[in-house]
Amino acid sequence: MKKMLNGLLLFMVFAIVLAGCGSVGDNSKPEATSGSEQTTKAAGPVTVKDDHGEVKLDKPAERVVVLEWAYTEDLIALGVQPVGNADNANYRLWITPEAKLADSVTDIGTRSEPNLEAIAALKPDLIISNTDNNAAIYAQLKGIAPTIEYDFFKGKGYDYDRMVEIFKQIAVATGKTEQADKVLNDLDQHYIEAKATLEKADKADFHYALTQAYTAQNAASLRMFKDNSLVVETLAKIGMVNDWKSDKTEKYGFSTVGIEALPAVQDSHFIYITQKTDDVFGAAMENNSVWKELNFVKEKRTYPLDGTTWTFGGPISSKVLVDQVVGVLTK
Amino acid sequence: MTRTGTTDLSKAWRAGGIFGGGLAVLIVLFFVSLCYGEAPIPLHTVIEALTQRQNTLEHNMVWDLRMPRTVIGILAGGALAIAGALLQAITKNPLAASDTLGINAGAYFVVVLGAVMFPALLHQAPFLFAAIGGLLAAVLAYFMGGGRAGSPIRLALAGLIVSMVLGSFTGALHIFYSFETQGLFLWGSGSLVQNDWSGTTYAWPWVVGLSVIAVLLSRQFDVLDLDESTSTSLGQKVGLTRVAGIVLAVLLSTITVSVIGPIGFVGLVAPHLVRLSGLKMHRWVLPGSFLWGALLLTGADVLAKMVHQSSMDLPTGAVMALIGAPWLIWLILWRMKLPSGIGGQSSMNIGVRSRKLPYGRLVTLFACGAVLLTVFSLMFGGMRIPVSDMLSGLFGGESTNSALLQFRIPRTLVAAGAGIALAVSGVLIQLAVRNPLADASIIGVSSGAGFGALAVIIVWPGLPVYVLPVAAIAGAAVSAAVIFFLSWNKHLNPSVVILLGIAVSAIGSAGIQVLIIQGSLWGSTGYIWLTGSTYARTWGQVTTILAFLLVLLPIAWWLARRFDLLVFDDSSAMGLGLPVRRTRLLAMAVGVLLAGGAVACVGTIGFIGLIAPHIVRTLIGHHVRRSLVLSSILGAVMLVLADTIGRTILAPMEIPSGLLIALIGAPYFLYLMYRSNRSKSV
Repeated sequence: MKKMLNGLLLFMVFAIVLAGCGSVGDNSKPEATSGSEQTTKAAGPVTVKDDHGEVKLDKPAERVVVLEWAYTEDLIALGVQPVGNADNANYRLWITPEAKLADSVTDIGTRSEPNLEAIAALKPDLIISNTDNNAAIYAQLKGIAPTIEYDFFKGKGYDYDRMVEIFKQIAVATGKTEQADKVLNDLDQHYIEAKATLEKADKADFHYALTQAYTAQNAASLRMFKDNSLVVETLAKIGMVNDWKSDKTEKYGFSTVGIEALPAVQDSHFIYITQKTDDVFGAAMENNSVWKELNFVKEKRTYPLDGTTWTFGGPISSKVLVDQVVGVLTK
Repeated sequence: MTRTGTTDLSKAWRAGGIFGGGLAVLIVLFFVSLCYGEAPIPLHTVIEALTQRQNTLEHNMVWDLRMPRTVIGILAGGALAIAGALLQAITKNPLAASDTLGINAGAYFVVVLGAVMFPALLHQAPFLFAAIGGLLAAVLAYFMGGGRAGSPIRLALAGLIVSMVLGSFTGALHIFYSFETQGLFLWGSGSLVQNDWSGTTYAWPWVVGLSVIAVLLSRQFDVLDLDESTSTSLGQKVGLTRVAGIVLAVLLSTITVSVIGPIGFVGLVAPHLVRLSGLKMHRWVLPGSFLWGALLLTGADVLAKMVHQSSMDLPTGAVMALIGAPWLIWLILWRMKLPSGIGGQSSMNIGVRSRKLPYGRLVTLFACGAVLLTVFSLMFGGMRIPVSDMLSGLFGGESTNSALLQFRIPRTLVAAGAGIALAVSGVLIQLAVRNPLADASIIGVSSGAGFGALAVIIVWPGLPVYVLPVAAIAGAAVSAAVIFFLSWNKHLNPSVVILLGIAVSAIGSAGIQVLIIQGSLWGSTGYIWLTGSTYARTWGQVTTILAFLLVLLPIAWWLARRFDLLVFDDSSAMGLGLPVRRTRLLAMAVGVLLAGGAVACVGTIGFIGLIAPHIVRTLIGHHVRRSLVLSSILGAVMLVLADTIGRTILAPMEIPSGLLIALIGAPYFLYLMYRSNRSKSV
């Protein structure tokens, strides 16, 4: 330990020498990426509720660092670009272009191990973190800036109410409550229109099963969404009925199953999200007699959605999901 | 197991049991396997599907989803078992199998590499990738293990090390290319799930063809059982037979890996079961092994299906390890001829250079290096923190906001502390088992600790943080206790301890895999933590590791005199009045506790405890106290360096320190093994 102290002393000497050269390494951009486009009217103190209780901010946050994509999307829906976001490349791969992340947003590392130094360098005035990945570093994040943390899957899971609850709190934190109300009202209006479109197309009370699927090893691995998931509750708003049931409690709101589990919903309509590079239900199923004999396959009731239709997002993802589904059903 | 009274009659009975009984059990398992799956299909429907298939969903499910899975299990189990039997004959090593020789790991590594580099090519010819990898790994293990002159244990050890090295490379690929390789993660644990018949139709001609060739050549393999001079005098084809056997074994195991991933222990267990019945001729041993390998793997798969969780399948490979590892323990304890002498042949003087450097100068040199490195680490480690900010953070009022104080200092201290703990633990464990190739990760203590800690994280996520070190210690202590308890009657023979450690390690790793998949932690914090990470360590962890060091280092120092005597062989040490077993136990206990503390703080980081003491030994020879001092500094330097590099070069992404250590340490370790072979043959 003594060596460490010595090292520290030596470092201080070094640092004093270097300090003379000015702050060469300074490339933090205090103003450049400040994301809020409209200046906030109410600049007074705000109180945000999170899973740890309440966090008081002197004024609504402007420089926000986000460690989970759903919250990034919430921010973008409010018209705020974060100053820092986790794993930009994969965000752009998985999440709808309608929630576009600006090029100026700094990448602060992976969602599970965000770079604390990079976060500190951005001098945020708010950090939004996610319990699943970031619980262990909560104390350190709080040391950098006021931090609000949400457990995605608290209570009944990440359902519609939870999504709205978190979205509204993020709006409070950024002083965008009016914007939030507008987004949610617009969304409700959007649902009413989409529902009408479906009814007009004779697709009222449409029965379906929704999956996000990928190939694990050589076999299909399917995430079948249950009633307590955000996507199923979103589609319920436009009158759609989920046919996938499971007795097991599923923390994430979906069951992971193989092809064998599909006959249970074969009389329903099968809606799926796959990536372009992973053709789960295409060529891979050509020789699969079980898949080919499923009623929804024989009777051509399968509907692919775009790969960027994100199932754990915010209001924009819900809107895009509805657009996508209405699009494929009324084509 | 008694050697007397093995009459021809009982032999015939046993042979009948092996083939008749084996076949009967396999047929039963075949049906059970067809009955288990996600969709509930009653037994009579399964039978109906088999006897009069119609184009109904349930019949199709039985025929085209469950049947291919069952058939690939039979083929793969059989292929791995024949490969094991062949390798055991060629190397005259009861511990040989495609997994213990690193072939499976090599094949899997090249497949994952292919998925990253040439995905299209891999899709066309996965077998090619797997075969190249398997062959390279086999050659590497063979030469590292001392070639033809190598003892069984050395060869097995070399193979396991090759597996570890390649495993850490594969781990690196999984972390850096998590998107490209995410579909391979389950495969990496070995899984029999099939979409259709394509995997089976692709594999069966190879498996059947190669197995038939192996059986046809069985008389040649019988010759290998004779001793070297006799077999050579029977003809010069022994070399050719060896090559043919190796090629057959590599192809058989790699075709398996390319379809279902690396699965261990089948090739080790099945041939032994057959040989136990008294069958020695390869024309019986090979088909028998095929049968029992098929049976074992199908059985493991049925078990895996039975405990199916909604989140994900339990990997068949992990179940197989849980079945197979106890077998390995049994094999080591009751079926292995130990190396001559109580203490075994291994000694601590492998690779010691004759020229020794003055100790005082070395300490100064090392200490200066450590100080410089610490400065370097604190100054240049992270990113985008202007120097003036750091200064104000250190001296100024807003010190809590300083990134330097908050992040770099604690993680550097934890890295240094864990490095010290691991290095000292290495010194002590090497003394305890009197083998320079041992450390906490090799004798299974690390994976035990990791299992304990991970179990706590997953099973009781709500528990306070301070439980974690306790759980890690408990895990480490249990695995160490098991190893010592089992090897006590073998006088803690070094080779036995290491091999038992490997078996316990396999059980721990299988358990860890199960936990990762049950908690869907792959590619996330849990998985990264397991590879060893100094990410975001806090003052809390500094306190933990400091507590361990403050208690245990003085004890180690105080006992060091006594430990010095452990370097001699057991009889001399006893002659000097040392209660050898108790002293070893003591050294082991302190070493295990230190390793457990390190795992609790930074996860399972390997190789430091292996390399640091070794480098020190080449510099100063044997002297426990000096070695403790120098190894601690070196261990600290290694981990601080890994931490610095890991958080710097790919910023903002972090490379886990354990991975960096493994990437550097594992090849060094191979080199050590290679050199120790040469020095021994001289």
